[in-house]
Amino acid sequence: MKKKWVYIAIAALLLPICVRGLWFYRGFAKRPEIATPDFASFSAPQAPFNVSKTDEEVGQLGGTVLIDASHSNLFYMANIDSLTSAIQARSGKIEMVADSFSLENNLKYASAFVTFSPTLPYSIFEIEALKNFAERGGKIIVFTDATNNTIYTDYFTGVTTVTSDVNAANSLLREFDIMINNDYLYNIENSEGNFRNVFFEDFGKNELTFGLKEVALYGAHSVESPSGLILLRGTESTLSSANDAHSADQGGAALSADGNVAAFGDFTFLSSPYNAYTDNATLISNLADFVLGGSRSKSLANFPFLFEGSTVKVFVAPELTKTTELISALGGLQASLRYMGIEPEFVDEVPSSGNAIVIASFELTEDTEPFANKFDLVPDGDFITTTEFGDVGRYGNGILLFDAGTKGSTLVLLADTPEDTISLIGVVTSGSLYSCLTSEKAAVCSVGYGGDYYSSDTGEETTEEDVSQESTEGEATPEATPTPEG
Amino acid sequence: MAETSNQWENYRTGLLWIVIPFIVGLIVASSIVPQPVIGVIRLEDAISSYTTQSLIKQIQYAAETPEIKAVVLVFESPGGTVVGTEAIYFELTKLREKKPIVTAVNAIAASGAYYLSVNTDFIFAKPTSLVGNIGAIGYLPRAPFLIEDTITTGPYKLFGSERDGYMRQIEMVKEGFFEAVKLGRGDKITGAPKEIFSGKIWVGIVALHLGIVDALGGEAEAVEKAAELAKVANYQVLDLREPAGVETALVTFFFQNDDGMIYPYPNEAGVYLLYIPPLPIK
Repeated sequence: MKKKWVYIAIAALLLPICVRGLWFYRGFAKRPEIATPDFASFSAPQAPFNVSKTDEEVGQLGGTVLIDASHSNLFYMANIDSLTSAIQARSGKIEMVADSFSLENNLKYASAFVTFSPTLPYSIFEIEALKNFAERGGKIIVFTDATNNTIYTDYFTGVTTVTSDVNAANSLLREFDIMINNDYLYNIENSEGNFRNVFFEDFGKNELTFGLKEVALYGAHSVESPSGLILLRGTESTLSSANDAHSADQGGAALSADGNVAAFGDFTFLSSPYNAYTDNATLISNLADFVLGGSRSKSLANFPFLFEGSTVKVFVAPELTKTTELISALGGLQASLRYMGIEPEFVDEVPSSGNAIVIASFELTEDTEPFANKFDLVPDGDFITTTEFGDVGRYGNGILLFDAGTKGSTLVLLADTPEDTISLIGVVTSGSLYSCLTSEKAAVCSVGYGGDYYSSDTGEETTEEDVSQESTEGEATPEATPTPEG
Repeated sequence: MAETSNQWENYRTGLLWIVIPFIVGLIVASSIVPQPVIGVIRLEDAISSYTTQSLIKQIQYAAETPEIKAVVLVFESPGGTVVGTEAIYFELTKLREKKPIVTAVNAIAASGAYYLSVNTDFIFAKPTSLVGNIGAIGYLPRAPFLIEDTITTGPYKLFGSERDGYMRQIEMVKEGFFEAVKLGRGDKITGAPKEIFSGKIWVGIVALHLGIVDALGGEAEAVEKAAELAKVANYQVLDLREPAGVETALVTFFFQNDDGMIYPYPNEAGVYLLYIPPLPIK
């Protein structure tokens, strides 16, 4: 009986607890095992240092590489030190182009023109000069970088504008059927330390990609050239930020169809330490060979930079008496050559090889006849018959002939009289052929008063007396053909 | 008389064996079976040193308080410091081993805030909440240089690290985040990894389609879900800031200029799990 009451008491005691339990709880929550990352197992991706060093001697190629500094270029020389060092190791000379006005003149002697992240577009004159330069075999490299953007905030509106470097670069590159896209390449499956650092293991066959197995670019625009060659091709997982897609027609660098113009979407790979990663150092060597190599055809368009090397032999035909005026003109020529780093050597015989300047008259001798023959130059009475310009009056005109041979270049100066010859030397010394008719290999320059000034219509010579008489009679004085020296 | 006496005896017996135990049961029941509490922890700012301490206090309070049967994390945060995020993450793990945690995303749970979300049992987001931005962001240190009047004992004493090495360390931060997402969400993620880990931020609807969140809903739904996971009913909802002893302080995580304008950039350079909204840039 008492036992029963005990049970009842317990039940009475538990009832509110159970009711409360049932009111609030619907079972027991079992907790799952919680997995967290094994942080200690993570390691930073290692830098892909390329420790292989070559003892290969670099070729002493020589040449001048122009570096563009006239388009608000976004770079520091320290960023491109590896490339400039490689160029200098090949006896190449680095020259900055600080103003666009001197570009055309600088291109006459340069072997390459390199620009880094230009932000000001190229003018039609610059584009034309660079097109001509590339057509003559000059090399052009345009580097851009996806991390080089100009951010501008309007003071009044507060609107911020971001401008990429591709617009200015494309103003030049479109002439060569190359386009750099306003995007960046990335790879989230296989990258060099970060998704924006892209590996390239597939290369377009070219001297620029010789010896490359793997290259890494660090924040690169994609580059394409429908008629040219993609130099650095990304894998399927290399995507463009423009559409998050891969395109086989785009890569990290491209070369124009003629092989003279290259465009790169990045130049961080030129700076330390990235220049030592993967095969970037080999690529930089190839770039140095590219800008200094190539067979650039010399023509009078390169005037006055017609000679490679440091010496030129100057032959003055014996019939030209070395008068005070001629000596003065030759002195000017010598100074002009020295200014360009070329030492003239005056010789008594026509040089058979090497750089040469031959100064002679239209009265061909056995020394000068071979040159005339080579250019189909035929003296014919009062005229000189030329291939390029037809019949040219021999009086008051001088002719320049240029032959770019493999063993050296030859410039021939021909004129009628010693005075005309002196004037023609003056034209050459002035460094400009603006007053001349020019073709690739010949030029005709007005250097004197001309035969008709001294001759009548009937061919009779006009004396000075006649001239003064005619002048006093009020007739128009024949205008003297101005010489370059005034 | 005897009958009356018997009746009284019965009453006394009933009182002694039924009513008194019942009353005692009623009295002790509230302590033995307390009303379950769903704790609410709010992160309505960036993850800074202050908010980190504040959250950790509340999480620890929730873990130590038996009445709290589940926790709802309410996020309105673009993320913040890596260290802060990781510290909260570890505390959440300890709490989650004991009690279910449900996330409710208000306006945004980006980067570090989403890092924390994946360490919860269920994620609700509103249809237009911003969720995701998985990844780390940092500013590379300068290339080292010397300052005449500053003497250091090593080339990186002043700069911390070389630029390249720093970039590679940030990759480890990213790996930790990615791994946390993979472990936290597991098979729930239906989007392709290259999409999920691209750093994109999505509105709630898209996040749901990608498996970034579990359902569309707000704080109320999150509380209900927390109760369901904890298997409790008739619960009490309690904001844990006050009981945990969190004091309100004004701490500026974001850069503020002299005019008082606040920018979405952190005050100090470093590595962050932070979403920085795009500027009105053309």
